[in-house]
Amino acid sequence: MSEENTTTLFGRDLGGFSSRAPAVAVAVGGLLAIFLFGLIFPESIAGTLTDILTSEGTLSSALRLSVPIALAALGGIFAEKSGVINIGLEGLLIISAFTAIYVTDITGGVWVGFAGGVVASVLLALLFAVVVIEFRADQIIAGLAVWLIALGLAPFASQVIYGRPNSPSVDTPGTITIPVLSDIPFFGALFDASPTVYLMFLAVGLSWYVLNRTTFGRWVRASGENPKALDTAGVNVSRIRYAAVLLSGVLAGMGGAALSLDLGQFTGNGPTMVNGKGFIAIVAYLFGNYNPVGAFFSTLLFAGLDAMQTVLQLQGIGLPRQLIRIIPFVMVIIVLAFVGRTRIPAAAGEHYDTGDDNR
Amino acid sequence: MATAVHLDGITKRFPGVIANDDVDLSVERGTVHALLGENGAGKTTLMNVLYGLYHPTEGRVVIDDEERTFESPRDAIDAGVGMIHQHFMLVDPMTVTENITLGNEPTKWGNLAVDRDAAREAVVELSEKYGFDVDPDARVEDISVGEQQRVEILKALYRGADILILDEPTAVLTPQEVEELFDVFEELTEQGKTIIFISHKLGEAMRAADDITVLRDGKNVGTVAAEETTREDLANLMVGREVLLDIEKPPTETGETVLSVSDLAVDDDRGVRAVNDVSFDVKAGEVFGIAGVDGNGQSQLIEAVTGLRKLKRGSIVFDGEDVTKRPRRERIESGMAYIPEDRQERGLVMDFDLVENAILGSQHSPEFESNGRIDWESTRGHAEDIIEKYDVRPPNPEAISESLSGGNQQKFIVGREFERDPSLVVAAHPTRGVDVGSIEFIHEQLLELRSRGVAILLISSKLDEVQGLSDRLGVMYEGDIIDVVDPTDTTEEELGLLMAGQHPDEHDDAPTPDVDGVATGGENR
Amino acid sequence: MSAGDRARDVLARLVDASATERILISLASLVLAIAVGTVLILVAGRMTTCSAQSAVYYFNVGFCYDPVLVFDRLFLGALGDPFRGGWSPDGQFSIAMRETTLLIFTGLSVAMAFRAGIFNIGTQGQMIVGGLAAALGTLWASPFLSGTVGTLVLVPFGILVGAVFGGLYGMIPGLLKAYAEANEVITTIMLNFIAGGVTLYLVSDVFKDPNSPANQTVPLPDYAQFPAVLFGSRQDFSLYALLFGVVMLFALYYVLEHTSFGYDVRTSGIQPEAAEYGGVDAAKTIVSSFALSGALGGVAGALYVTMVIGKFQAGVPAYGFDGITVSILAGNNPLGVGFAALLFGVLKSGTTVVQFATDVPPQLVGVLRGLIILFVAMPEFFRLIGRRLLPEEDKSRAVATDGGERIADSRASSDGPSDGGVSGGEDE
Repeated sequence: MSEENTTTLFGRDLGGFSSRAPAVAVAVGGLLAIFLFGLIFPESIAGTLTDILTSEGTLSSALRLSVPIALAALGGIFAEKSGVINIGLEGLLIISAFTAIYVTDITGGVWVGFAGGVVASVLLALLFAVVVIEFRADQIIAGLAVWLIALGLAPFASQVIYGRPNSPSVDTPGTITIPVLSDIPFFGALFDASPTVYLMFLAVGLSWYVLNRTTFGRWVRASGENPKALDTAGVNVSRIRYAAVLLSGVLAGMGGAALSLDLGQFTGNGPTMVNGKGFIAIVAYLFGNYNPVGAFFSTLLFAGLDAMQTVLQLQGIGLPRQLIRIIPFVMVIIVLAFVGRTRIPAAAGEHYDTGDDNR
Repeated sequence: MATAVHLDGITKRFPGVIANDDVDLSVERGTVHALLGENGAGKTTLMNVLYGLYHPTEGRVVIDDEERTFESPRDAIDAGVGMIHQHFMLVDPMTVTENITLGNEPTKWGNLAVDRDAAREAVVELSEKYGFDVDPDARVEDISVGEQQRVEILKALYRGADILILDEPTAVLTPQEVEELFDVFEELTEQGKTIIFISHKLGEAMRAADDITVLRDGKNVGTVAAEETTREDLANLMVGREVLLDIEKPPTETGETVLSVSDLAVDDDRGVRAVNDVSFDVKAGEVFGIAGVDGNGQSQLIEAVTGLRKLKRGSIVFDGEDVTKRPRRERIESGMAYIPEDRQERGLVMDFDLVENAILGSQHSPEFESNGRIDWESTRGHAEDIIEKYDVRPPNPEAISESLSGGNQQKFIVGREFERDPSLVVAAHPTRGVDVGSIEFIHEQLLELRSRGVAILLISSKLDEVQGLSDRLGVMYEGDIIDVVDPTDTTEEELGLLMAGQHPDEHDDAPTPDVDGVATGGENR
Repeated sequence: MSAGDRARDVLARLVDASATERILISLASLVLAIAVGTVLILVAGRMTTCSAQSAVYYFNVGFCYDPVLVFDRLFLGALGDPFRGGWSPDGQFSIAMRETTLLIFTGLSVAMAFRAGIFNIGTQGQMIVGGLAAALGTLWASPFLSGTVGTLVLVPFGILVGAVFGGLYGMIPGLLKAYAEANEVITTIMLNFIAGGVTLYLVSDVFKDPNSPANQTVPLPDYAQFPAVLFGSRQDFSLYALLFGVVMLFALYYVLEHTSFGYDVRTSGIQPEAAEYGGVDAAKTIVSSFALSGALGGVAGALYVTMVIGKFQAGVPAYGFDGITVSILAGNNPLGVGFAALLFGVLKSGTTVVQFATDVPPQLVGVLRGLIILFVAMPEFFRLIGRRLLPEEDKSRAVATDGGERIADSRASSDGPSDGGVSGGEDE
């Protein structure tokens, strides 16, 4: 009985998100206000804020913090657009973060490790896909299970292999610096970054392209909006959903691998080093209205706030650290409550049956 | 002329049911063929077999003189068969072009991208060829139902369909759109396409089809040429017996006004005005019926009256009190019973057993609840009473509602609402899907309530039902009650005209009335 | 109706077909999770190194970890080894009971919301808020009282304060869902972060215990904490709290099954359109269900403070998230929550035993938890196996699910005057 309960419950309204435009307007407006105020009164807190906002370091660390979130968000978009709500992104990030370090550690190749992380994430995504598509499990509960399994498995493996939840340090991919361009003030940060940052930009662009310009992307959208229409058009809905969920495994796996490899270590204490990034990713793509580019910018917004928070702390600004950290979460709720809603795919969360009697 | 479709001895069995029993059907190329029959006669099943959605238990499907076995609709599509389902298979947020080409998108750069220009061009070309007027760039959710239907037809044509099956294509259309659809039929058959459409409306079949096949109880009871038959003949074929739905309605004294609706305006889910400044009264001891083609605002009207939908304007006075702003629960408690349109969505909690469902709506009534506690024992007794009196089968109060057949679900709802001791009953399609014996019983009970002085607001798509039961009959068309007539001295033809939005005296200068809206249960002339 | 009849009736209602299936699925999930866990332990045991003497041998293959030992410690060790001599309620057994008690409340919190069709992931946050409120409230009130009277007043007072603040915090996502249609899965996740952040700030600054380096409030006086009975006071467990939890299991069961409020909640949980038809005020039901759910979470927080640690400290363990697991395993049935809480209470207690007694990483328990949830979420998998094992049932199921009445009917009813399609609907 409960399984049906929850299906109706999520089928009913996983709605509740704002259309992108007002949200972005609020955020940009707020930043602009601080910016102007800061320019006029350079000695005020806003002045300091402006300094921080315009500093290259902030952009650079915001970009770095964005990578796992943005990649996971892209994965979430594909899955959810196809009709499968993948709340297990957090778990995919965790498992790939660990595996990437482990494989790098034993092979010595950073990019081999990166690939290893992606493979681990895809395998876990496959498990999720089978459970949800083949065995019609409730997507939210199965997603939670994926998170919990990874949350246990990664530190477990670390403990077995390294005798503690944190891995030793391994090589990092380093940074790629593009001469001349990296000297541009502020935006120079864009050209002096880890390869994973460039990978993120590539993934954002490609995802947008695939979703909007290819037949596969079109089928993914149809599968989440009206699977029956896709089915009667002769396209196998299950196959599309499998592909989309596996793709979310690839993207989240890239995110998790980038997260740990950029630091050169996996930390598995408590909520692990992923620490809610998978959930932030979900918020980011809802915020970005399922548009890969929108998801990227909302990620950058969250990551920017996070980066600012670190810088602020270094500068000893009055606001307590713990309170600054919750600003993005409060913002999400405010936007949710007061600015319209994002339209979620009509069939998201619902199992699809072909409904014929031929099988 | 060549035979486009030949179905030979099709039998389709479902567990416990024979949906199609040795049905033969031949359709000539380039003609319009109507598949006519009552609800449940097996029309849709037969067409699902032709479209590859169902495997026939026995029999052969022959397309263009070639025997075919369809594993899935994909095979049927490949054989040139297209089906337009009653519920459109369209992706709402996508454009017309995207929908039409879905699954068969033209690509460029070696499949790396959808060739959107080519797709758009193909759609424009196709719609020009058949004289369709659709905007290839409009989003499906922004266009009218009639246009959506044309998109569905184009979708089938785009995939190369030569044989088009349409399931109840007129059910959702306005009379004008129906006319346009029939024009489309002509255009298509002129270009050599074959059309099979499912209908339960005689007038439509006579108007649009070349040949008509009548199904009854899963059997083909006759194929006739539209020109050589009469409505009476068809009605006899469809019903196959004298339907004794003669409703004996004793005269009653009407009392005070129980329900008074004035200037009511209501929007539908999409925010489009569905009911336009409607006013009417229902008095105690009176049945006020509302007739009309489905989708002319009846659903929104009763939802507003019963408190399930917000009004835009107007007021509702019930038993002398203005209930316009009262929540649903207060309306129930003040004696408003409601047999809803959709029994499985609203009328019953499908996972609850009958005991639990027996108090849906009266869970806070002192009869079953005291101090917040529900008295399950008396509730159970109540459920048993309903089951017994309304002959609900199986007679097991612990049966989960979902396990009951539709007719029995309906009887249980009717029983629950009638036993509420209401002063007003709002009944939407009270006998839909119910067997003949139970129909009579429900009608009797309805009239019994009437004689006890209960006011009844009745909505039904069965014209004989509203006509036979109502003391006064309002006809709804495009959100207005365009006339209120005395059902005893109004003919079906006159009602049909009203339902198509025309007053009978305007008859001569109006186009042929085709929307008879007559549900087939009632061809009892 | 005699009492015996009624009892049988209740039993029949409890153990109807779907409930039996539920229980079977939950048990099968547990067994399957243990099976996968066994494989995991063996594989991990091959990956690590140990001396030949300390290894165990199965099928002539040596493994560093012994699954039999692990599960023995995990279940029996967790209960203080009841089958060995010298068992005492103190020690590990009372830890299992303590965890069970807390999980009963967080499990009930999640189950309550679930039954109303709400996914409350925010029990953790509600617990944190309730816990801090209980600590501060008790600290505020404790100077006025002392001794036994103090205990009798302060403990219930702390629980009440926890319930109220947990409930209020739960009302936030309720109001957001009911009136702004904000999705509760997202808002409750956000509110968890917010609760963590704000309370961390408060106990690291405003309400910080000046005598401690940790982020915590000053300790509650002893008389404001739960009294221990039967069990040693060192164990941070009170039988009273467990009894309170058991009473609440039945209370929530009663509320859901026997009150009109529970009827409204369940109806809106499984079929909101029908609830609306039946006069249920959807918004009010959402808000009150959320408040009740939050209150139960708040009580868990209060118990954690007054029974377990005797102060509020930042970094409350994830009982709230465990509550989701408990509720899902219990099929969201309050009585089932009792059993599921016991199971996870034992697992949590066993985690430390495993850590001491074996080299197997304790995170194994986290994996098991995830696996159990995963399996519980896929009843279809077990039905499939059931069908393979019992081919007879296959046929009856085919009748029930295939073609037949439901499809025909849903068409007939939703499409208006449509052809009955499969035409099963009119065959009475």
